[in-house]
Amino acid sequence: MSYLLLRTLTKKQEVDSIIRDTIDKVLVLRFGRSPDQACLLLDDVLAKSAREVSKFASIALVDIDSEDIQVYIKYFDISLIPSTVFFFNAHHMKMDSGTADHTKWVGVFRQKQDFIDVVEAIFRGAMKGKLIVNCPLPPDRIPKYQLLYKDI
Amino acid sequence: MAAAKSETIPNPSCTDPSKKDEKKRKKVSEFEYCKVCKLNHDQGQRHKYFPSHKKSLSIFFSKFQTKLSDVGFFLRNPSLLRSEHASRNRVWCVFCDMDIDELGSEFACENAINHLASADHMKNLKHFLWKYGGGMDFIDKFRIKEAEVAKWKKKCKSLKSEAESSNKAPDDIHNELNYVNTTSFNIDNTNIYSVNSRNSNSVMPLQCHTNEYQVSHSGLSEVANAGLYSADVASSSALETHSGTSSIDFSTGMPNITQIFVPEVAGGNVHTGAPPPWFDAIEESQLNVGPQPVLGSFLSSSNNSGKSKKLNPKRVGAAWAERRKMEMEMEKRGELVKKEFDANWLPNFGRVWQSGSRKESRKEFEFEKQNLSKVGSQPAEPVEILPYISKRIKSEERQPLSEVESQPAETVKIQPYISKRMEFELGKQKLAKVESEPAGPVKIQPYISKRMELQLEKQKLPKVESESAEPIKIQPYISKRMQRDGSK
Repeated sequence: MSYLLLRTLTKKQEVDSIIRDTIDKVLVLRFGRSPDQACLLLDDVLAKSAREVSKFASIALVDIDSEDIQVYIKYFDISLIPSTVFFFNAHHMKMDSGTADHTKWVGVFRQKQDFIDVVEAIFRGAMKGKLIVNCPLPPDRIPKYQLLYKDI
Repeated sequence: MAAAKSETIPNPSCTDPSKKDEKKRKKVSEFEYCKVCKLNHDQGQRHKYFPSHKKSLSIFFSKFQTKLSDVGFFLRNPSLLRSEHASRNRVWCVFCDMDIDELGSEFACENAINHLASADHMKNLKHFLWKYGGGMDFIDKFRIKEAEVAKWKKKCKSLKSEAESSNKAPDDIHNELNYVNTTSFNIDNTNIYSVNSRNSNSVMPLQCHTNEYQVSHSGLSEVANAGLYSADVASSSALETHSGTSSIDFSTGMPNITQIFVPEVAGGNVHTGAPPPWFDAIEESQLNVGPQPVLGSFLSSSNNSGKSKKLNPKRVGAAWAERRKMEMEMEKRGELVKKEFDANWLPNFGRVWQSGSRKESRKEFEFEKQNLSKVGSQPAEPVEILPYISKRIKSEERQPLSEVESQPAETVKIQPYISKRMEFELGKQKLAKVESEPAGPVKIQPYISKRMELQLEKQKLPKVESESAEPIKIQPYISKRMQRDGSK
């Protein structure tokens, strides 16, 4: 089984470099903890579809437990894990999936195809110059969550 | 068109009706197939005189003549037939209705020549002309006389012998020259060809073959192939050994083609699998020209195979991508040392709880970061919970009250609720009894209604002297009725 190990980033400098060096491809950054159950599910989907999207997307995992990364956690307002943030040419891509938070994807993907569809939608929008795209998935496949402001 | 008429109406004036009837009665012949016109007709012997047939016949003859023209050429200039080309050279003899292959022949069109000279062919030719009407002059065109065949055979023999002899001395240029000088052009040709046959690329003839094929008639005639082959063999030989240009005039039917001397290209050619010259040129230019922004994009686009990779300039982060590509190219080439970018660099991100542009959200984030760094360790309670302070009190605080106890600067003392009336009285009391009253809490007085007050005042006025310091007697409440009753 050709299992592609996805890169896990633990330092801010690594994250910076990968954001800056991915040119004309969607960059998928998963923020989460490896042993966490939901993260494991998501990582599995990501790893399996990494090859399929390799021509227009690259994927990396970011470990939120490392100190360096805390800046990014604050900057990206990550409160629920796993969270996936999309970039294109060092610009952040938003996706409107009917949830409260458009800046990231919270939760798991049900199928590989869902993930591929999402990345494709982002790529197409980015190529056209749009910073926010609509989610191509039907609402029942989108994980629901409640977004709280500062844990209140 | 006069079809087979039915029997004519007998002419009453005719004396011999039967004879005339016979004359006028046209024979109703069966349908025949005319090879020349390619149709079935029932005109019998008359058909060959019709103008349409005559036209078709002339076309027919001219076609076959062109096919035979190559044969004629080889009759005069015999050359060796190579086995690989033999299968291509087939002639269909229309008179004999048979194919003439060149499978066993050593010389080009050998079988064809032999056939055309044969007696059988002669017979068929005559029959054809009789049937389709061509005239006797055509006979000579479509056959080869024995004398010519004899000549041809002689030449073939000499060819053979020369081929054998020249094989013995391959590098003997002098011999070749001698041949060139002494022998005819034909032998020269064949000699060169024989030299060529050893050296030539199997591919070389093909080059010329295609050229001439295009130039000459486009018909896919087999004899034409034979002719072409022989022509290109001759020309290929000319290519390799002749140093100048020479125009070889082929036999009738083919235009004059000028051969050029093609020097061997150092880089090779299509057949050796070398890259095309324009490709090399581009590579050179890439190396020579220094780094320029135009070149950068050109490089990246040339690296992408095939597709026109002009990415949408309106795509997200296009400017960034271009700049970054340039940087990376330069880094690759080692011109630009990798910069250590700012540790505080943050990507372009629109935050969740902020509205406004992304720059604003980044600024907010920076601001928050700075605040956090100033405060240092965060207090336990991020926000101090303060009691409710009404605006009134706040405004009072601002007015400095000297009598009021000094209050700590930070906290506000919790004071009980004081109604406005009480405050007013307080104020009065304070002004009136400054000396007597100590700075203590306010004296709480029992509630005295206005009515009582008035009475008291009344009582007070007349009896000012008597009741000077007497405190006000608190009397139990006695109703008027009771008073009346009491007084009674």
